[in-house]
Amino acid sequence: MSSKVNWKATILLILGTVFILFPLYLTITIAFKTPQEMTGNLLALPETWTFDNFFRAIEVTNFFNALGNSVFVTVFTVAIVVLTHSMVAYAIARNMHKKFYKFLYFYFISAMFIPFPIIMLPLVLQTSAWGMDNLVGLGFLNGVMHLAFNVFIYVGYVKTLPVELEEAAHIDGAGTWKVFWKIIFPMMMPMHATVAILTALAAWNDFMLPLVILSDSSMYTLPLVQYAFQGQFSTDYNLAFASYLMAMLPMIVLYIFVQKWIIGGVMRGSLK
Amino acid sequence: MSIKKVFLLPAAFGLTAFAAGCGGTDGGDGQVTLELFSNKSESIGTYERLIEDFESENPDISINLEAPPEAETVLRTRLTRGDMPDLMSIGGNATYGELAREGVFKDFTESAVLDEVQSSYVDMLNALVGPESEGNYGVPYATNANHVIYNQEKVDELGIDIPQDWNEFIDVLETAQDAGETPIFFTLQEAWTGMAVWNAVAGNLVEDDFAERKNEGEATFVDEYDEVADKMVQLLDYGHSDNFGVGYNDGNRAFATGGSVFYIQGNWAIPEILESNPDIELGTFALPSNEDAEENELVSGVDVVLTVSEETDHPEEAEKFLEFMVSQDVAEQYIDEQSAFSAVEGVFQEDEVFDGIREYFENDRLTSFPDHYYPAGMGVENLVQDFLINQNKEQSLEEIDNEWDANQNR
Amino acid sequence: MKKDHVFLMMVLPAFILFFIFHTYPALQGIFYSFTNFRGYGDWDFVGFINYFNVFQDGRALSAYGFTFQFAIVATLLVNMLSLFIAIGLNAKIKFRKTLRAMYFLPFILSVLIVSFIFQFMFTHMLPQLGQALDIDFLSRNILGNQNLAWIGVVIVAVWQSTAFNTLLYLAGLSTVDDQVYEAADIDGAGSWAKFWRLTFPLIAPFFTINMVVAMKNFLMAFDQIIGLTGGGPGRATESIALLIYRGGFEGGQFAYQSANAVIYFIVIVAISVIQLRILERKEVKG
Repeated sequence: MSSKVNWKATILLILGTVFILFPLYLTITIAFKTPQEMTGNLLALPETWTFDNFFRAIEVTNFFNALGNSVFVTVFTVAIVVLTHSMVAYAIARNMHKKFYKFLYFYFISAMFIPFPIIMLPLVLQTSAWGMDNLVGLGFLNGVMHLAFNVFIYVGYVKTLPVELEEAAHIDGAGTWKVFWKIIFPMMMPMHATVAILTALAAWNDFMLPLVILSDSSMYTLPLVQYAFQGQFSTDYNLAFASYLMAMLPMIVLYIFVQKWIIGGVMRGSLK
Repeated sequence: MSIKKVFLLPAAFGLTAFAAGCGGTDGGDGQVTLELFSNKSESIGTYERLIEDFESENPDISINLEAPPEAETVLRTRLTRGDMPDLMSIGGNATYGELAREGVFKDFTESAVLDEVQSSYVDMLNALVGPESEGNYGVPYATNANHVIYNQEKVDELGIDIPQDWNEFIDVLETAQDAGETPIFFTLQEAWTGMAVWNAVAGNLVEDDFAERKNEGEATFVDEYDEVADKMVQLLDYGHSDNFGVGYNDGNRAFATGGSVFYIQGNWAIPEILESNPDIELGTFALPSNEDAEENELVSGVDVVLTVSEETDHPEEAEKFLEFMVSQDVAEQYIDEQSAFSAVEGVFQEDEVFDGIREYFENDRLTSFPDHYYPAGMGVENLVQDFLINQNKEQSLEEIDNEWDANQNR
Repeated sequence: MKKDHVFLMMVLPAFILFFIFHTYPALQGIFYSFTNFRGYGDWDFVGFINYFNVFQDGRALSAYGFTFQFAIVATLLVNMLSLFIAIGLNAKIKFRKTLRAMYFLPFILSVLIVSFIFQFMFTHMLPQLGQALDIDFLSRNILGNQNLAWIGVVIVAVWQSTAFNTLLYLAGLSTVDDQVYEAADIDGAGSWAKFWRLTFPLIAPFFTINMVVAMKNFLMAFDQIIGLTGGGPGRATESIALLIYRGGFEGGQFAYQSANAVIYFIVIVAISVIQLRILERKEVKG
């Protein structure tokens, strides 16, 4: 830590953020402008900061309904993923020497290379036949779609946990279930955070799966609502951008508060 | 909160959502919920108002409107799922014909609703379905006109007479261009808007039985659409500087604010234009793509077919909604708000915007949309858009021929 | 309960879900690809006809062409850019945490919504800039130009995906011990040489993973295209995923597009394997 601050890199990086922030700046300013202001300088700040566009967007798109759907799907998905994927990863990691578990591991991992479209068409048939073309079905499906990646990083993590603790617990008479829930599951906390963050982001922003699975527009998630209302937004970009901004805002706010945690979680996951 | 609780909470949510999902369409109080699927984003507001009226007349029925983008893809997805909406308000095109042949719509032959609408439109729908299926699978509701919309003020300024044949039309476009105006505002970023032009041009140049002969291998686009292709390219010369960079919504707004003299679109664009600029004065005429003025007809089709799923649990309630729709007041409200034409007997579009094309309706100088008879899956609009960009006539027409043939093999 | 049984029980929930919602539909897809099923109604077996037709289908071939062109360019750009940003963020800079947070921000945003926003910029702002600067090809909406629209799709992909890859490289760089550099400083190596000789070999495994994952994701592009071009103009930006969705449902080509999807799957696996082989060989060579 002896050398000086690298100002050249600092300045370059600060300039670079312009590219990141510009679309967001545009989104925010347009969301506050009136249609009349759109004919002037698009880069200018709004003349008055009113929330009219937002109120209209809430009404037109039934924002709180979509928000509820998105929150539900995201929470449900994360719950399924953290519970079932950590469990299966633990079983695999501790039995890798057995053929069956090794096969299972590669079976799951191989799904990373199966493009979604190959299962999309049959999946549509299947989910509707089973009455799962709804938010609950979407949650289960999300769980399935992320299995490969999550098993990969969970298994990597469990392998780094010392076996001695479990052995000691077994000697004390604890069963494997108990060992998992009392010892392993809590020890996996850092990985739970990583998995939960990545899965939540993916589920929140997902578009294609809800598009093909959900049939009832009252179940639409936030991205799907933005798509579905393209026709109604028409050329009212102020309304559209207010709606976009609100759809992104929950994640942005969350990010501002827990960004250290999110970035840490992702970096931890990538080192597995 | 303990971890357990965090996990139990969504599970409880899930169960309630699941239970709600299983509850189906019937509430305990005899309330029936029907789903109305519409393929037009333009009519969402109108339908919402009509549904409200209907629900207050029929408090035991409630109607959910679904009007998703890429509606035809969505409807096919729903068909794949075996989850057709109870009520449908869709276009009278190839998809309608195909779905009707598939037997997913109710047969209205015995229904009194069919007596309320003009039988010529019923025939038009049956032509889409084809001779092998007997029955009437839809109620024609609104019809459309694929025409040229003009800005009255600009036309007056330029001293333009409404053209009756192709050469007059080109002269008029020249006049506008010489005066420094943009003659036509194209919105070809969205491929389907090219079809408004394609249909208007082809409607008067290509024989009506083209699709039939094409299916039998006796006709090709290369042979019969040559002139259509040439004339479309010719029209592009009278566009603006970014014909392929502007979409439908932006185009409506641009035209509404004086962006061009002419706009080749259907009547459905008129309410959108008026919304952008309520003060604009508009007129319409049929695109005279034929050199012979006598040969020029107006391209018109069934814009809205109302139909009911064969498998709906509530056929009577659905029928009630159709009866409501074909009643005179409602039909009038619909065409007023949508600037459409009614298929309901005795309901006429009297807006003076349509003075220029009224004569075509009265004298039955109508021809149908050529592309309504093309196979639905071939995505002709993208092929036409591609042609307009590259303007390689032979190659493009050949590709359209091939796509048609390939589509029959899939 | 025996220990082995407990482990089996742990495997079961995920296994069952995965099997019925992933493996089973995948098998169904393969099965239907040999039929003429339209998604509804009757069907028959037709053998390999669908596969045969895909290879002659101009629309499918152009979708493959576009998807590859897009995926290769986007993968290279994203990886170059994110490597540079990661090196910058790893240097001794001011406001490191804030800058890192900024550069990661695009990752948390919905691709679809970002695409809608860029669509607006390409349609309403870029042409104005182009006109002001008198640059001809920019003075019109690039999304309306068959030769340029794909660049718009690349721009959005790069804007959005660089964030995640930057973070992965940053994680890789954090594993590099400072002492390695100190040793190099004594040798008097320049910073460019230091990067290629020291840093890059150490983070090569990250480079491999990033290239493979990015490529795979871009080959599946869908959201960006719906948000930006809808596959147009013409069919210039119709990706394979979009074609399968559209054709499979709208066109009633369920079986045909299933065959297309199987080919797509084989292609993706082949590419991933080839990439891994080549890049791993490079890794060993250093």
